[in-house]
Amino acid sequence: MKKAIYLVAALIIFAAGANIAYDSVKSLNIARCLGCIAMEPKAVKFEEFWVEYPDHYNNKGIPPHPDWVVNASKQKVVMLFFWGPSCEPCERQWEAMKKADLVKGSEENGSITANFSYIQLFSINAPYDDEKGEAIRIYTPKGDTGTPTTVILFEKNGTIYWYAFSGEANGEGGRPDINELINILEKAKEEKYDLQS
Amino acid sequence: MICNLNCAGCPLAYLCIPLAIGAFIALKRYRGGLQKKRLASQLSFLLISNAAFVFGATGLIYTYFYCWESPYALMACPIGVLEHAFADRSWYLLVYLAGLIGFACIIFGRAACGWACPIGFLQDLAKGRRTKSKLDSKMRLLKYAILLAIPPVCYLTEKLAYTDICPIGGLTATLPYLAMDPNGYTFTVFFIPKMINVAGFFILIFLMTRGWCRHLCPVGAMMAQFNKISLLQLKYYEKKCIKCFKCAGVCPMQINMPYDNRSGECIRCGKCIDICPTNALAFEFRW
Repeated sequence: MKKAIYLVAALIIFAAGANIAYDSVKSLNIARCLGCIAMEPKAVKFEEFWVEYPDHYNNKGIPPHPDWVVNASKQKVVMLFFWGPSCEPCERQWEAMKKADLVKGSEENGSITANFSYIQLFSINAPYDDEKGEAIRIYTPKGDTGTPTTVILFEKNGTIYWYAFSGEANGEGGRPDINELINILEKAKEEKYDLQS
Repeated sequence: MICNLNCAGCPLAYLCIPLAIGAFIALKRYRGGLQKKRLASQLSFLLISNAAFVFGATGLIYTYFYCWESPYALMACPIGVLEHAFADRSWYLLVYLAGLIGFACIIFGRAACGWACPIGFLQDLAKGRRTKSKLDSKMRLLKYAILLAIPPVCYLTEKLAYTDICPIGGLTATLPYLAMDPNGYTFTVFFIPKMINVAGFFILIFLMTRGWCRHLCPVGAMMAQFNKISLLQLKYYEKKCIKCFKCAGVCPMQINMPYDNRSGECIRCGKCIDICPTNALAFEFRW
């Protein structure tokens, strides 16, 4: 009898837990955290903005940019910063971006500084944000690699131009460091608004 | 996906080749009716654990230790979920974890270690030496210490502290990713500590049978105490016993068999049942 009570109690807790936590666990499971296994994916050094998926991506053709990205990129240069709670490389990159006066606040409530007002920042808690978190899979080379992933996009004459890298922006493995990241953002501004011409 | 024997270009080769080698070794080693069934179960769970290439990643949690960062991990690591609950202050994850582990273990006790866990399967294949030092009983407490240390450390550091050095993650995720794409990654500062722990894991499992389960596995520690109240029990019929102690001789956890049949260390592998000449030991479901 005692065991039956234990079993029923465990079943109720399990059912309640699954009801409230299944989706979160699924999101955590989908967003593979390579940093957690001591690795970060190599990236392709920035040379020019892409329109279609470049060669080191599994996918081909033009990425299925979400509507909210398309709309924002019409107005400004867009920076997507996908992070996760307890993600150390994400935290380091955020702090480095703060130090470079690119962003202010925390990852959760962060915003762009006045110096970079041409940028629309989306700082996205990838595993827990159901609406925008899903987009990480569009922009990662192996489809489901984890945080941090940084994406820069802008729209010009109806075409979306973009560049992305997964892993911490620290100049290793083909990824830009923070100064290069700022240069890429400046380059995006120049191209979007034809500042050079 | 159909095998075309082109292992060099196949993303599943990292799983498939060890599986085939493991099955070949195991067929020679698993003797006895229950052991053949256990082998089938362990092979099946190894496949299920990596079935995300068919079903995609799910929100289920393994009831054994397996890394959810593994390339085709179907479910979530129980220790990873525990870490996230404390590091991210996502307390609701604990309800799910406790309910799932509680439900599975009230029915089966720690049988998942013996019948489902791929890391347990690897240890069975490694067939470590049967050594039992004087320190053994004290060393068994280490796994409880590790389990108890994870929540406060994750809470205070707000980091996945155990994950950073987890040898199971190194073995089942880092190495497969490297095998699939050796030039595709750079390494963080935790790579070398992780690989040292993987090497330590292998030394341990060759030094002693089920060395990882006995001394270090925090998931085993999570489940151990359910053995005393689980429906599935290892029953000992004293009147039938001729005290040959063959059961003690084959027990991979080196429990004081047949007397400690309800021990939290028992992984319900059934080797003692298979070897008992008088059927003095048997599995029973009891309410």
